[in-house]
Amino acid sequence: MGGFQAAPLLAANSVVELPVKWSRVLARVRDSEMPPKGAPALPAKEREQFVAWVDTALHQAACADGIAPGRAPLRRLNRGEYGSTVRDLLNIHINAGHGLPAEGAGGEGFDNAAETLFLSPIHAEKYLEAAKLALEYAFSDTRSRARFLTDPNATLSPEEAARKTLDAFLPKAFRRPARPGDMDKYMALFQTAMKRGDSYEQAMQYALQGVLMSPHFLFRLESPNPNPPPRLLDDYALASRLSYFLWGSMPDQTLFDLASKGTLHETETLIAQVPRMLKDAHAHEFADRFVDQWLNIRELGRDIKPDRQLFPTYYDAEIQSAMRYEPILFFQEIMAENLSLMNLIDSKFTILTNRLARHYDLKIAADQKISQQPKRIELPENSHRGGLLGMAAVLAVSSLPTRTSPVLRGKWILESVLGTPPPPPPPSVPLLKEHDAQMPQTLRERLELHRQNAVCAGCHNKIDPLGFGLENYDVLGRWRTEDAGKPIDSKGELPDGTIFNGPQELKGVLLARKDLLFRNLTGKLLGYALGRGLTLEEYCTVDRIMEKLKQNDYASHVLIREIVLSIPFRYQTGTAQNMSVRDYHQ
Amino acid sequence: MTILNPRFPISRRTLLRGAGAGVGLPWLEAMMPRRADAAKTQPVSPVRIAAMYMPNGVREDMWTPEGTGRDFQLSPTLQPLEDLKSEILVLTNLWNQASKGGEGHYVKISGFLTCTTITKTLGVDVSCNGVSMDQMAAQSSGKQTPLASLELGITPVSTGVDKNVGYTRVYGSHIAWSGPTSPLAREINPRLVFERLFRATGPQGDSARRDAQLLDSVMEDAKQLRQSLGAADRQRMEEYLSVVRSLEQRLERSSQPRENPWKAKASIDASAKPEGIPKDYAEHVRLMLDMIALGFQTDTTRVATFMFANEVSNQNFSFVPGVSGSHHSLSHHEKDADKLRQYQLINRWHIEQYAYLMRKLRAMKEGETNVLDSSMVLIGAGIRDGNKHDPHNMPLVLGGRAGGRIDAGQHLIYTPDSPLSNLYVSMLDAFGTPVERFADSTGRLPGVLA
Repeated sequence: MGGFQAAPLLAANSVVELPVKWSRVLARVRDSEMPPKGAPALPAKEREQFVAWVDTALHQAACADGIAPGRAPLRRLNRGEYGSTVRDLLNIHINAGHGLPAEGAGGEGFDNAAETLFLSPIHAEKYLEAAKLALEYAFSDTRSRARFLTDPNATLSPEEAARKTLDAFLPKAFRRPARPGDMDKYMALFQTAMKRGDSYEQAMQYALQGVLMSPHFLFRLESPNPNPPPRLLDDYALASRLSYFLWGSMPDQTLFDLASKGTLHETETLIAQVPRMLKDAHAHEFADRFVDQWLNIRELGRDIKPDRQLFPTYYDAEIQSAMRYEPILFFQEIMAENLSLMNLIDSKFTILTNRLARHYDLKIAADQKISQQPKRIELPENSHRGGLLGMAAVLAVSSLPTRTSPVLRGKWILESVLGTPPPPPPPSVPLLKEHDAQMPQTLRERLELHRQNAVCAGCHNKIDPLGFGLENYDVLGRWRTEDAGKPIDSKGELPDGTIFNGPQELKGVLLARKDLLFRNLTGKLLGYALGRGLTLEEYCTVDRIMEKLKQNDYASHVLIREIVLSIPFRYQTGTAQNMSVRDYHQ
Repeated sequence: MTILNPRFPISRRTLLRGAGAGVGLPWLEAMMPRRADAAKTQPVSPVRIAAMYMPNGVREDMWTPEGTGRDFQLSPTLQPLEDLKSEILVLTNLWNQASKGGEGHYVKISGFLTCTTITKTLGVDVSCNGVSMDQMAAQSSGKQTPLASLELGITPVSTGVDKNVGYTRVYGSHIAWSGPTSPLAREINPRLVFERLFRATGPQGDSARRDAQLLDSVMEDAKQLRQSLGAADRQRMEEYLSVVRSLEQRLERSSQPRENPWKAKASIDASAKPEGIPKDYAEHVRLMLDMIALGFQTDTTRVATFMFANEVSNQNFSFVPGVSGSHHSLSHHEKDADKLRQYQLINRWHIEQYAYLMRKLRAMKEGETNVLDSSMVLIGAGIRDGNKHDPHNMPLVLGGRAGGRIDAGQHLIYTPDSPLSNLYVSMLDAFGTPVERFADSTGRLPGVLA
């Protein structure tokens, strides 16, 4: 452990000199671990002020002096990336990653974070099996086979055909030009198999299985920067950063071509690539994986399931899929069409199937041709929909299985939308008072009683009102005006005195806090793009992007473009820690 | 009531003397290196270890049995074990000191089998700072079976990081750690588990040799690459090398005749493949437990861990008669009578599943004996009362006799706050992989070994 020394922190310039130490102090005070038990307690208000003060000071110190890109640790493809990459590499229509174990999350909360992509013995077995399966499928499919396999013929010996196949296959599989020795390694596998008496096809399958097990395929390798200062990433590595960010898969031919020309890193090239990539169908995987984890809707149907008896409607494949894809396709639409990110808070459209429209009790004009397939639909007046908060998946994942929970919904808004999660309840405090005859019956009354306890009030005054604003939606997100015979009361009052009534006014509250929301979204996206947690300095990048967003009416492409152009995304750190890059593109 | 004092652990010699030469022998045998001529003697069934984890603690007043030693009555929650009473040890007053403090859940679950304190982090430098007990066992038995161990669960790893407590949810989803920075991935699809067991035991020979050759070339690649990487990245590549190497070695072994003189009494029937993940939670649990039983019976593995859910699980238990809510919410019962009632029913349901696995193992005959007799099946939670998040007096039951090495059929009450790690020292002894120390252990747990 080592004792904690406060003395060095008291020096005048210590925030600049000792940022890591100060960050640690910040976290411990914020999490109520400091001051320690036994020492005089710190009143909540003072704690908040202290935390805000340290945070601002640290931030200003970090941002004053250019931005140092954080270290990009070696990372393997995660389960989703593996499946998509094998699919695109072999042109097959099966998900070879299906049998791989799911991954947990690190960094900014995503399963592509380098630090939490562990390897277990089961991975070696699964990679071996998955490669075999994918190749068997690809070899049996004439269309796919033709794309990557050269067959021997009268003028082409098996040896030559194998060489030709590998010559084209290896740079794609390794996402960089072939290096001396690459070819020999896999030709050796081919020859071993031929000597064993395998057919040409069997021997090729064997060699390619070796390619798909190679760390050059399974890991995202960026050649280390041997010099002290940060440098621009090489174009092939940049192509992979781009494609795994916006497509969740390997680069396509256009990106490879730009990398081989050596122009991919140029600002104009990148500015042109962003809209192309966001409009491409592959961007669905970006929307799917990002939104699924950002909004926590991945847990719907896993740990969080509406009760089967009370909500039988949920137990229908069509509605489950329509619910799940609504926020994902909505996000994809905003990204593809360069719409304003304000749509996330409120919008005049959403993505519906006829089943989901019925679920929401919406009358959709006939000319919109709503069908079984999810599709962008303009919402009628007073639809109670529009924006993420009116979506069934979001409302269900922030409910208990049997009833809605203003506390969980309020916490969900604070955590997922605003990026200001409330601290956990102090361990010694009961969550709600015991039931007895005098206890008020409604949940609102009980929660209000709860908030009379000063220890609880500090946080619950922030949490509960937000959740009450959504009480007009039931567990499955259907509109209701009463619950168990009692009218719904969706009024809320926030600690700063803001009063609102119902979800539409709640959206107004969030609009007023849009800086928080977009700062949260930007940080999450940058963390997702980099596949790791952000450093203190990288939060300065988030601030700069925020400025750009404000100047450009929150257009979605601006957000993605600025991330792609940012120093942490385009640069790699050198051997010296914390050397900054100043030639930012503006 | 007899209170056993763990501070004066029984020495191995005392143990042998007390047990008498006849009974003590199998235990000694397990500690001796297996000789090539062992096949001539009648080999005994191998010892197996399974550990099952219940999230969210238990209702405390309904857990602990009345009475002590062999003379005890099962508590309402343990009632489903009535027909297995002579096969179990109920362990009272053990605690996991290392999981004290921190927050209410992540620290408790990840340290359940390691008895260490996890590093608080959102992802960078994840570490449990130890090795789990099951993996200590697997490191020795893994060379004798196709799979070193099975890690099973029901829900996928929870996603996201818990920013309000400062932990990655990775911690809430793992009890098996093969090293400080290696949480073992779990399988949740019974069909995939079955296929894995089947593949591992299936005819190998030529195809295994081919795969091993392929992996050889992969390892060459990884070794070359390792040279060019920085220190931290080299570590990751080392991880890859080591998982590939372990598979390669297994394939090498399987392409040669088996050294292990003991032959499993059953093999895997390909037609018994489960369909995939059933919609029903209870059925899903049973299928996963079936896979553990199958793995043990066919000697495909001797070590397994199972998580009923990830920590802080809000699994809806309305399918249990009398329950109408979800697990984590009900575990925060706030002493509310109705919540307590439902909480206990959920605990009891978990014990029923535990009993199911043990009955299943008991029904698997192995010569004169059965698989349960040669197994140790532990069930427990990282905290006692779900409302208090306290790792004192953890709810723990150990079933099976480990081939006569466990003195089953007792309720053992220790002095409060005796180390849980001492139980693991005893279990590892019974497994045949004795350790001097395990985490914060102070010795063997008295009364456990026969």
